[in-house]
Amino acid sequence: MGFARSMSGALASAMLCALSVSAASAQTLKAVKDRGELICGVSQGLAGFSIADDKGVWSGFDVDFCRAVAAAAIGDAAKVRFVPLSAAERFAALRDGKVDLLARNSTWTLSREIEFGIAFTGATFYDGQGFLVPRASSKTSAYELDGAKVCVQAGTTTKDNIVEFFAANSMKQELVELGSPAEALKAYEEGRCNVLSSDASQLHAERLRLAKPGEHVILADVISKEPLSPAVRDNDAQWGRIVTWVNFAMLQAEELGVSSKTIDAALQSKKPDVRWLVGTDGALGEGLGLTKDWAVRIVRAVGNYGEVYDRNVGDDSRLQIPRGLNQLWSSGGLQYAPPVK
Amino acid sequence: MNRAMTGLLMRAAAMALALGAFAAPASAQRAAPPQDILDVDDQPGFIPSKESEQLSGQWEKQVVFFRTSEAPGTIVISTKDRYLYHVLGANRAMRYGIGVGREGFQWSGLLKVSRKQEWPDWRPPPEMIQRQPYLPRFMAGGPGNPMGARAMYLGATIYRIHGTNQPETIGHAVSSGCFRLVNDDVIDLFDRVQVGAKVIIKHQPAV
Repeated sequence: MGFARSMSGALASAMLCALSVSAASAQTLKAVKDRGELICGVSQGLAGFSIADDKGVWSGFDVDFCRAVAAAAIGDAAKVRFVPLSAAERFAALRDGKVDLLARNSTWTLSREIEFGIAFTGATFYDGQGFLVPRASSKTSAYELDGAKVCVQAGTTTKDNIVEFFAANSMKQELVELGSPAEALKAYEEGRCNVLSSDASQLHAERLRLAKPGEHVILADVISKEPLSPAVRDNDAQWGRIVTWVNFAMLQAEELGVSSKTIDAALQSKKPDVRWLVGTDGALGEGLGLTKDWAVRIVRAVGNYGEVYDRNVGDDSRLQIPRGLNQLWSSGGLQYAPPVK
Repeated sequence: MNRAMTGLLMRAAAMALALGAFAAPASAQRAAPPQDILDVDDQPGFIPSKESEQLSGQWEKQVVFFRTSEAPGTIVISTKDRYLYHVLGANRAMRYGIGVGREGFQWSGLLKVSRKQEWPDWRPPPEMIQRQPYLPRFMAGGPGNPMGARAMYLGATIYRIHGTNQPETIGHAVSSGCFRLVNDDVIDLFDRVQVGAKVIIKHQPAV
């Protein structure tokens, strides 16, 4: 009897525990609203994506995504607390409820979803391993790199990708392995190799550290898949849907020409797709647990996807990363939002 | 094309339209002119310095990743972004920074390169001469000509891709002209493009 009682007691407390966990974590939207603040996990400082200035003001592509979610969820893009997280601690911090949302240039993989019980909400930035070469080499393609001496950081997947890519394309290479990204860049600058390889977004940042950035180019090819995506805990479908559709709303806005400059005109639009997006038709915002003007708030706060891209990492930023894979699908890229209707 | 040419060609186009012969694309979408037009006058005879014609950053000619089902040799113009892409195949295009004029800004559609001309001449129409009496009545093609070093005519329309003697207008919507490139770029493009090449103009319609 004692055994049975203690079993049922354990079971009850286990169930209670499970209940309290799901009740606590499935209410992210309510918690954010009650708190009046979104807690967003970001990087510890990566130019273009998330970086704090000397006054502690955060900016960047990922930071703007946090602000867009705050604008949609609580109506104020300024109500975000940014929590810088190391690569090692980021997913556990999300799992353990230390942040409401992780927007930290993280590659979306299945193993990460399974291991940490998290859900990636959709690629906001398609990155991939690329190549930096001297402009004078006149190379325009990764397929012209036969015989190259390639500087890479040791102990990374970068090296494996190089070996695989060159072998798959019947090209020879010589690897020069360095301990850190900074050492790899130095080795390239000293001419110990004639190609530097890393994720393309990182190459654009590193090029700025060279004495004459204009004398180096980043080839258009990428040889690995690095879809960077925000993530949420996987036990809160409502919150996951909100974060997913914040991204889609920004993409749909760009596709329709709805921007921070045209948002007032968009509110007067007679086009059905525009009316669905800005909430003059339908009740999509309410359906998400937000307000009718959720997408309008996003666009007013940070702009559409293209505006956020250009300002932080694209043509209007120091990085000047071409849109490439991050073009809208209608312009040959991979960025595609399902209909917001 | 410069403003003078534009006026002339607009009248010609209006006549052609009246005659039912104007070959504007059926899918052309009309929209209000953009608000951010750079109001600069043409400067016939002005020869820009080599340095000012050297574009940098995003406006510099460069090979970019460009996924498309269009055949190599096709030209894709994005008026919103101020880029002209020449499709190279295998997911790449040569990208040029362009200036987009009022006339090239209001529609999207499909055309073909109908004619190519080296160092095109310039003939300002009377109304433009009335406004700017100092303009020449005729200017033979050559350095300093607002039409620039090369022109590619688009179908039977008033639209064309041409050079410029005002490199500072690249990246802007300018008050005159269609699609303008700096002279080195328009020469480079001219040598790659065949008469008959498909030209797709993408314009962001109004909300």
